[in-house]
Amino acid sequence: MENALVDSLMAFFTSERALAIVRAIVLLAAGLMVAAIVSRLPQRLMGKRFTPHQAMLTRRLVYYVILALFIASALRELGFSLGVLLGAAGVLSVAIGFASQTSASNLISGLFLIGERPFEIGDLIRVGTTTGEVLSIDLLSVKLRTFDNLYVRIPNEQLIKGEVTTLTRFPIRRFDLKIRVARKEDIGRVREVLMDVADRNPLCLDEPRPLFIFTGFGESSLDIQFSAWATRENYLDLLNSLQEDVKRAFDAAGIEIPFPHRALYAGEETRPFPVIVHSVIPPDSDSGKA
Amino acid sequence: MAGEPAPMNQGLWWMPRHVVSGRTLRLRLGPLIIKAHRSGSEWLLSAEEVDETEAVPGVMLEMSDERPDDKYVRYACRDPQDRIAFRPMLADRPMVVRPRQAVFVLPGEETIFYISTPVWVGVVAGENDQLLREIPASRPSDTWFGPSTRTGEICYAARTQARNVLAEVPMRAYRVVTALRVENRADSPLPVEKLSLPAPLLSTWGREDGSLWSDTVHLQRVTDSDMAAIRVEPGPPSYASDATLLAGPRMQAGKGGLVRAFSGFFT
Repeated sequence: MENALVDSLMAFFTSERALAIVRAIVLLAAGLMVAAIVSRLPQRLMGKRFTPHQAMLTRRLVYYVILALFIASALRELGFSLGVLLGAAGVLSVAIGFASQTSASNLISGLFLIGERPFEIGDLIRVGTTTGEVLSIDLLSVKLRTFDNLYVRIPNEQLIKGEVTTLTRFPIRRFDLKIRVARKEDIGRVREVLMDVADRNPLCLDEPRPLFIFTGFGESSLDIQFSAWATRENYLDLLNSLQEDVKRAFDAAGIEIPFPHRALYAGEETRPFPVIVHSVIPPDSDSGKA
Repeated sequence: MAGEPAPMNQGLWWMPRHVVSGRTLRLRLGPLIIKAHRSGSEWLLSAEEVDETEAVPGVMLEMSDERPDDKYVRYACRDPQDRIAFRPMLADRPMVVRPRQAVFVLPGEETIFYISTPVWVGVVAGENDQLLREIPASRPSDTWFGPSTRTGEICYAARTQARNVLAEVPMRAYRVVTALRVENRADSPLPVEKLSLPAPLLSTWGREDGSLWSDTVHLQRVTDSDMAAIRVEPGPPSYASDATLLAGPRMQAGKGGLVRAFSGFFT
């Protein structure tokens, strides 16, 4: 009995089929190794000429092409005909496509995203309310690291459908300071003070010139937009320093930043509102009674 | 450039000095105050920029026992070396200078402008002149120079009288004077509203009287555009031929193509 089992096992292992399986496994293992090694080569050879984005794309492309070739060879070793397999894959992909619409949509969106390149790895982007640094652009999703160090995964479909803002695309950025001054203030003087603040701040670009826009008469103020430019690296510093400087300059020049206020008018015929001032009641007056 | 260390209050401010441990070398250069204190094998360096209206016109260099205040940076060295020098340099980015009044260079004409820009002080220590830090004598404002907000480069902004008589140029210890020759070979007058001075391509030269000079820059406008062929004439200018080289250019000039040198407007 045992001899028969050993014999049949021996027959199997020495058969052509077993050898083919072994060859296929060896091919697959070799493919994984070769793909891993070769995919790292372009980046090493090209060195710093690659951006992180290009490096990632090349690495993945080389990796998957080599792996696909080895898998195809392994399948051939096992006796599969490649033509039939591709045909089957076509039918299968339709079925899978119907079954997993979301993934497929993300996958196609990912391809478009890689082709269109609205942002690269390392860029800062804003999607909806999420702002963060792009860590990777994958076939199904984009991974972000937010400023509070959270890892956010955004499906590619959302990026293709919705609005994405790349904050680090251009080297300079504009900061719009919305500011209100009291109605009594002289607009010309306010403009002078603001321009002087911008001139004195070394982070505020001299050119393009800061922009002063009188946006209108607010309910209890004159509304102004003051826009200043900075390099994208200095944007946050400008945002803080400029507002501090403006506050200080306004205080020094006696320019008032008003609180919202409302005047009550009781009509021509009416008397003024009566105002009665009570003397302050000491807090322990109740306890005294008790 | 660097000779034997000079005794205090003699020689020029860029000459190397010896600072023994526990002592401070204090440089007051226009609006800038640098304190270099040696503490054992460390250098403690502090820099402070006062308002330009409080700037002293000359240079004050003194040795004292005072320690730099809290805002200092420590530089640790393996071997304690007491040699330190302040090295005058030009800005690390191009300077965009705007004449205070509009200037036109007529077709076929050539003119020379003398432009002074703040000096950058490199603090170097040790026998091999290890650069510790670079500090501008007065930090100019940043500016953008290019045809649009998308393309261009970050520069420093400076205002200039764009004087064309050398004797009228005020000599200040903390500014480097560059002679800029502008030649207009085009058919239309060249409005000089803004000029990009390629400071990183220029060497710095110093004279015995403490004045600082750079190589001469030659801008030649050939066509009716704001592009120009730029050429740096190496060596001290002819009127300061006795000047010695203090610092070489930060970058080598590329092959003489056209650069955007005038205005670079955007609307």
